[in-house]
Amino acid sequence: MSYGKSVLAFEEFGFRPGKVERVVRETSKMVSVYIKLHLPNLPRPGQFLMIWVPDAEEVPMSVSGAGRRWVRISVLGRGKTTSKIQKLRRGDLVGVRGPFGRGFSLKGKSHLLVGGGSGVAALIYASKTISDQKKECVFLIGAKTSSELPFLREVKRLNQKLLMATEDGSAGYKGVVTDLVEPILIKKDFDSVMTCGPEKMMVKTVELALKHGVRVQASLERYMKCGFGVCGSCVLDPVGLRVCTDGPVFDGRILLQTDFGKFKRDAAGRRRPI
Amino acid sequence: MSRLTVKLGKLVLPNPVMLASGILSHGSLLEKALREGAGAVVTKSLTLKGRKGYETPVVVGVEEGLVNAVGLANPGYKDFLKNDLQMIKEKNRVIVSIAGDGPDEFVKIASSAEDAGIAAVELNLSCPHVKKHGLEIGKDPKLVRRIVKDTRGVLKIPVHVKMGFCDELIRSSLVAEDAGADAVVAINTLPAMVIDVYSRKPILSRICGGLSGPAIHPIALRCVYELYRELSIPVIGCGGVKDWQTATEFLLAGAKAVQVGSAVAIKGLKVFSEITEGLAKYLKEYGFESVDILMGSLEGKK
Ligand SMILES: Cc1cc2nc3c(=O)[nH]c(=O)nc-3n(C[C@H](O)[C@H](O)[C@H](O)COP(=O)(O)OP(=O)(O)OC[C@H]3O[C@@H](n4cnc5c(N)ncnc54)[C@H](O)[C@@H]3O)c2cc1C
Ligand SMILES: Cc1cc2nc3c(=O)[nH]c(=O)nc-3n(C[C@H](O)[C@H](O)[C@H](O)COP(=O)(O)O)c2cc1C
Ligand code: FES
Repeated sequence: MSYGKSVLAFEEFGFRPGKVERVVRETSKMVSVYIKLHLPNLPRPGQFLMIWVPDAEEVPMSVSGAGRRWVRISVLGRGKTTSKIQKLRRGDLVGVRGPFGRGFSLKGKSHLLVGGGSGVAALIYASKTISDQKKECVFLIGAKTSSELPFLREVKRLNQKLLMATEDGSAGYKGVVTDLVEPILIKKDFDSVMTCGPEKMMVKTVELALKHGVRVQASLERYMKCGFGVCGSCVLDPVGLRVCTDGPVFDGRILLQTDFGKFKRDAAGRRRPI
Repeated sequence: MSRLTVKLGKLVLPNPVMLASGILSHGSLLEKALREGAGAVVTKSLTLKGRKGYETPVVVGVEEGLVNAVGLANPGYKDFLKNDLQMIKEKNRVIVSIAGDGPDEFVKIASSAEDAGIAAVELNLSCPHVKKHGLEIGKDPKLVRRIVKDTRGVLKIPVHVKMGFCDELIRSSLVAEDAGADAVVAINTLPAMVIDVYSRKPILSRICGGLSGPAIHPIALRCVYELYRELSIPVIGCGGVKDWQTATEFLLAGAKAVQVGSAVAIKGLKVFSEITEGLAKYLKEYGFESVDILMGSLEGKK
């Protein structure tokens, strides 16, 4: 397997068995699953895996952590497959393919991360990598309420500055996480902003970053059937980008020329307002 | 006119390398494939009503190929013609693939597609026919005749038929030609399945699917070779094209154009320019003034 290469082999789109090593509850809504898996290269932050739970469906999941012999996914219970994943136990097997997609570019010395919902999963892995590279990072995490804020201890262990926002005010700032973006962009100079979470949140973050002249990347979650660029279901209209292979991380300026935050496609390929 | 220009009946294309049906599917991606050098693009097979398709996994990689059972996921022909087609600038290079459930549906979708200004229709006669309990339409020459005749009867634009590999391939193709088809596309995927030995389960949610990619190329090549000898209408080769060599093989066997599907997964959209550039070089080096002259020029045939 080699993902820098321009020609891939068809076998790379087959499943490998991954044995569940550990399951950890992160919040009232999110569960992390550590999967034993041998990868020749570490996934890049922002890359994702296709996870197939026999008896349920196959779904895309960001890498939220990885080592030489394991990967971690962090899953919000949303429907049939994600609740099955949350109920996995040590020793269970899942089918894994990937890592797929392009990750975040970590160029620059100081980064602002803005995450909400399942998007925090991709960003926690980015923040670990930034920290390993001894660069600076401020992490903004938003949730409805304090019990839904994931990875707080992990961010603290990485010695990174953390700001929280909850809609009910039970922890940190009372309000939405995007309210915190502009004040910090005014106070501090960043080389880049990275965001992952609900699209409306990302649109706001991209607009604010660009307004302040900071390079911004957003990682998108769109409906996917294949994950490797053949089916077209993850298309970003009207420019014709595939989230699975051209993304899931895109430059904010490109996203503003697309349906980002406005429309997405469902399983039949119908355009649905976001 | 460049050496690569091909005429498929009334259809004139800048090069003979098309995108196959079901790959990339949506309007903006078809537009991108054209900009990246495809001579024409074939849409996902459209049905009367929108379809979500089967549950995932719907496509899985194997050695030298893919096995898929997507389940004809598409937004429905009306939705496609209204939203997706509008994202494509050159509608005269769009071929609309149709999966109807009987002659009336084929006719209905084909007429709307023609009204929307597209270049040609491709009747997917290799998909299982629901009313006939999963039997491929192409295996039933009588039904092939009716569908082609009815569709041809109401359209002005070319009607292509897409066949699967089956015992009736030649017979059904001859029937299609006789009923007025303007070209035959061969072949669709071959029956296949994949099993996960660890969970002891079939991987595709639908259990069985179809194999595509380099693994089927020699089979598709033989089909094209035989069809070329039997038919007088053009044959379009499909199955396992991944570079200019595999495309040229089809042309030598008698195809007038080729379609590329699975190779998009391993090479991306640049596969189109890679093939056309390689083919142009080959034509020049070997002194062929056009694809037509190369077509079927297999040495020692008969
Ligand atoms: C690149 C990428 C990375 C992702 N990373 C994470 C992550 O780290 N953690 C996390 O919790 N979630 C992540 N998701 C979202 C996750 O894939 C969906 O929540 C999951 O597929 C829902 O499946 P379900 O059967 O539980 O829900 P369903 O009941 O089937 O659907 C619930 C909603 O989930 C979405 N969804 C369903 N199927 C898919 C699919 N095949 N592809 C994409 N979205 C789908 C749809 O919007 C749907 O409305 C990611 C998605 C993408 C595209
Ligand atoms: C994911 C996928 C979806 C497909 N969907 C369709 C379809 O809707 N209609 C159709 O006629 N063929 C469909 N096909 C078959 C291709 O058009 C083509 O005939 C086949 O893949 C062989 O070509 P290839 O080896 O270049 O992929 C599909 C193939 C794949 C891999
Ligand atoms: S999910 Fe199939 S092309 Fe992206």
